[in-house]
Amino acid sequence: MEQLFAALEGGLERLNSAPNPEALEAVRVELIGRKGLIAELSKGMGKLSPEERVATGKKLNEAKQTLEAAYEARHAAFKSAALAARLETEWLDLTVPPSGLAPGAMHPITQIQTEIEELFVSMGFAVLDGPEVETEWHNFDALNIPPTHPARDMQDTFWVEGGHLLRTHTSPVQVRGMQTFKPPFRMIAPGRVFRNEEVDASHEHTFSQLEGMMVDRDVSIANLTYFMKTLLAKIFGREDVTVRLRPGYFPFVEPGFELDIQCMVCEGSGCPVCKHSGWVELLPCGLVHPQVLRMGGLDPAEWGGFAFGLGLTRLVMMRYAIDDIRWINSGDLRFLNQFGGPRA
Amino acid sequence: MKFSRNWLADYVPGLAVDGAELGRQITMRTAECEGVEEHAPQLKDVCVARVESVEPIPGSPNVKAVVETGRYGRKTLVCGAPNCRAGLLTAYWPLGIKKIAGVDSEGMLCAGDELGINRDHNLIVELSDVAVGDPLPGLVPDAVIDIDNKSLTHRPDLWGHFGMAREVAATFGLPLQDPTDLSLLPSGEPQVKVEIEDFTLCPRFSAVVFENVKVAPSPLWFQYRLQAVGLNPINNIVDITNYVMAELPQPMHAFDADKVPGQTLVARAANAGERLEALNGETYDLDPAMIVVGGLEGPLAIAGIIGGDPSAIGDSTTRIIFEAANWNPALVRKTTVKLKLRTDASMRFEKSLDPENTLRGLARAIALMKLVCPEATLVGGVADVRGPVTAPAPIKITMPWMAKKLGRTIGQNEVVSILEALGFGVNTASREWEVTVPSWRATKDISMDADLVEEVGRMIGYASITPTAPRMDVVPPKINRERAFHNGLRRRLTNVGFTEVHNYSFVADAEARKFGFDAADHLRVLNPIAEDQALLRISLLPKIWKNIDDNRKHFDQFRLFEIGREIHKRPEGLPDEVPHLAVVVYAKDDGVAGLNQLKRAALDLVPEVTFQPTTSVRVFEHPARTAQVMANETLIGRLFEFHPDFVEVGRAAVLELNLRTLEALANARKTSYTAVNKFPSSSFDLAVVVGARASAGDVAQHLPGAQFIEDYRLPDGRRSLLYRLTISRPDRTLTGDEVTAERTRLIEHLRAQGFELRA
Repeated sequence: MEQLFAALEGGLERLNSAPNPEALEAVRVELIGRKGLIAELSKGMGKLSPEERVATGKKLNEAKQTLEAAYEARHAAFKSAALAARLETEWLDLTVPPSGLAPGAMHPITQIQTEIEELFVSMGFAVLDGPEVETEWHNFDALNIPPTHPARDMQDTFWVEGGHLLRTHTSPVQVRGMQTFKPPFRMIAPGRVFRNEEVDASHEHTFSQLEGMMVDRDVSIANLTYFMKTLLAKIFGREDVTVRLRPGYFPFVEPGFELDIQCMVCEGSGCPVCKHSGWVELLPCGLVHPQVLRMGGLDPAEWGGFAFGLGLTRLVMMRYAIDDIRWINSGDLRFLNQFGGPRA
Repeated sequence: MKFSRNWLADYVPGLAVDGAELGRQITMRTAECEGVEEHAPQLKDVCVARVESVEPIPGSPNVKAVVETGRYGRKTLVCGAPNCRAGLLTAYWPLGIKKIAGVDSEGMLCAGDELGINRDHNLIVELSDVAVGDPLPGLVPDAVIDIDNKSLTHRPDLWGHFGMAREVAATFGLPLQDPTDLSLLPSGEPQVKVEIEDFTLCPRFSAVVFENVKVAPSPLWFQYRLQAVGLNPINNIVDITNYVMAELPQPMHAFDADKVPGQTLVARAANAGERLEALNGETYDLDPAMIVVGGLEGPLAIAGIIGGDPSAIGDSTTRIIFEAANWNPALVRKTTVKLKLRTDASMRFEKSLDPENTLRGLARAIALMKLVCPEATLVGGVADVRGPVTAPAPIKITMPWMAKKLGRTIGQNEVVSILEALGFGVNTASREWEVTVPSWRATKDISMDADLVEEVGRMIGYASITPTAPRMDVVPPKINRERAFHNGLRRRLTNVGFTEVHNYSFVADAEARKFGFDAADHLRVLNPIAEDQALLRISLLPKIWKNIDDNRKHFDQFRLFEIGREIHKRPEGLPDEVPHLAVVVYAKDDGVAGLNQLKRAALDLVPEVTFQPTTSVRVFEHPARTAQVMANETLIGRLFEFHPDFVEVGRAAVLELNLRTLEALANARKTSYTAVNKFPSSSFDLAVVVGARASAGDVAQHLPGAQFIEDYRLPDGRRSLLYRLTISRPDRTLTGDEVTAERTRLIEHLRAQGFELRA
């Protein structure tokens, strides 16, 4: 018994100086384990007198608590040292770019087209498609452009076999709209159009437009201006935009307008972008010509409307300050991948 | 069309604004001004000078001249013009001192082009009846307002200064002064015989004859006016015809009367085989769809376009016929297209000119002859033949209707004064007004009430109309399902790394051939920009291939897609435009990963998709790496790697889908919910051994719901396909025996189908 107590005496020192968690565990088992020294001593207490038993029990209890506390402290120290060591080895360079596939980009024309479609749908406009190969009637005659009309010179036309043509504008969809919907209706028609023009930095034979039309009983110039301002404020991300209407000639509207927007580069004071006029020509529009309503099967005495055409390709070029229109249909990923950022 | 500010001001007394402001106002009220340029600003400094003496400069073709300028004193200068001689009255421009041929030259003596008068560069101008030091008579700096021709397409009246002056007068509320004096037209028996064969070809033909004509250069002020608007001065007679054209506008023609057989002019269709040598030196073959001014012996002019050389005005001409006619605009236009010849006259005639202007044109020519060819004398009366005329019915409008269209209220008096200033007659006696259209607006431009909204709107200024939301029914628009479907595909594909391209619809014959397509299956463009853009695509692939070939020069790997329309001919009517999707993965590897990515993409887009091996491959497809893409037994597209002959460096995998078929599938597809099983499920694996080139798809169809785990190559070259089956019951936990039974059933089923199972 005395020997054992002596062993206990040195136990504290052994726990505190155990060199590693394994050694510590061995000492713990030896001293305070279920079959350790303390347990051994407790078994021997039966042979003692009641007085001795109380004194020895107390002594043993104190020794056990001391040793346990020492063990816990030492154990915790090893654990936190191990964790610290692990954390240290797990250092990562988080500035390394991620692997895996980055999202691709939608074509900038698709993006701007979708934006405008969403705006108009929210204002009750349906989105309509029309064929790219059109009849002469839809592209010209029904839009009040008879065969000998000089306005046909304004749009160099690709003709195809069978007497048809590649639509020179999205306006024929106006006619298809009138044939599809019962008035009153509102519609837009985005799509590709074609002009027989040599391609250079600012001219393309294939580009995108967006046609819009509203037909109702009382549609005024004031209503047209309202929608155009709403549209442009959205496109340019502004609360309000300053626009002006001036006379413009298009056979399928009467009156016809050119809508100019105040130059956003110089705020109207004049700069190279607006050719020092303070205004940028943006979209042709007007009240639907009665003859066009008639061609679409509507009675102009009962129905009226407005129509407008927006050049999507031009808008994309303006928005991103693209210097050469040929990039748009180039299929060049050095160009297209620049438009992949998440949309607001 | 170029307008001279000074010329316009002739008809609008009191016009005080400069060219720039005039250009702005015209843009806002009438037509688009593309720019305003000063014309001959130097004229404010130029003055009349007399050459005092001239001496040669040794070794130089120039001479040293001493001139008296009055205003600037006596100057010594160098002049290269051969007509520089002592005593000459000419134009001096003080330009500062410049050393020329060793002489300090104090300014210059000017040729016509240096003063903006004409294109003469060789000779300095010669003046008479002028005082030294005075400004050049009738020559003051001008501003030239350039109006976009397109914006004048519908306005024949604006192809002349007088028409534009009417707009300017109305804009500024100033009076308009008409230069035409019809009382100048002579009466009596005409000395020229005029006939019209068909009034639809020529609604009106008027002519008058002058004798004792002296063909000479026009006075400088007259030349200056033409030059300012871009018309080249030629001689007094031709200049008059151009002046009237640029003024009224009435294009005219002057014939040498002695070269017009029988003094007879006939407006008629050309005869087959007729030819005419025109004033521009070209000879034109005419056909019966063209109109000519014929004489007794063949054509003299191509009507409305160009005169003939044989009857042209020359230096020896002494008798002339002035012709002012009105021609069928469509025929003039067609002829210009056929002859590839557009002239200042044809541009105007094709806009539908006012037939009333023929006599006005002659009246103006008579007045101008007095100024620029005073020796000439009129002989005989005016020949004037015209077809039947029906005045257009007045247009009826009401004020409430006008206000409704404009979107603002407007005073009656304001409407009346606007319309009257523009030449309309307005009868306001009843609630429904009657508006009479003036002849110069009635040919095509204005025929109905909506046209009058424009007249009023542009003159009150559109800026005075406040933007207003319309009253309209709140109706959700019909959804465009096709577009929504395509946009969904775009979103999914971009999310997994594909970038969208847009390609042209045109392909070359050679491109089609290269891809094994028959050129005859393509719709052909009749007037392509270039021969290699003559066909409309029946497949997206030729241009997709080009995308690959272009981009591989810049990238080692890339992913792209296009959604575009194939255009397929039909026996009748418009072609069938079928939307297709082409998706590409390119990489410099063995190509397996790319095909795998596309299978993944196809599954994401079409959950029911399966791939079916095919031996019928197209020329551009890798023969061992091509599959048909199926969905519910329907062929929806193809998956393939480009043949190495097409993509030599790297591998390009392509997924091509017919979106019309795909959309029908998508529309039929319904997302449904099955209750999640509360009882545990059990899994077991089955390994099916197949030949090296077997199709996993054949195995999978016998193991519905199985999850594919791996494709393992056995040492003997065969493959072990490992599938995991997970089974459960909605009402209880499966017992071990039940699981074993199901496993045994499947194994037996597979064996019955001839498959070998791995232990």
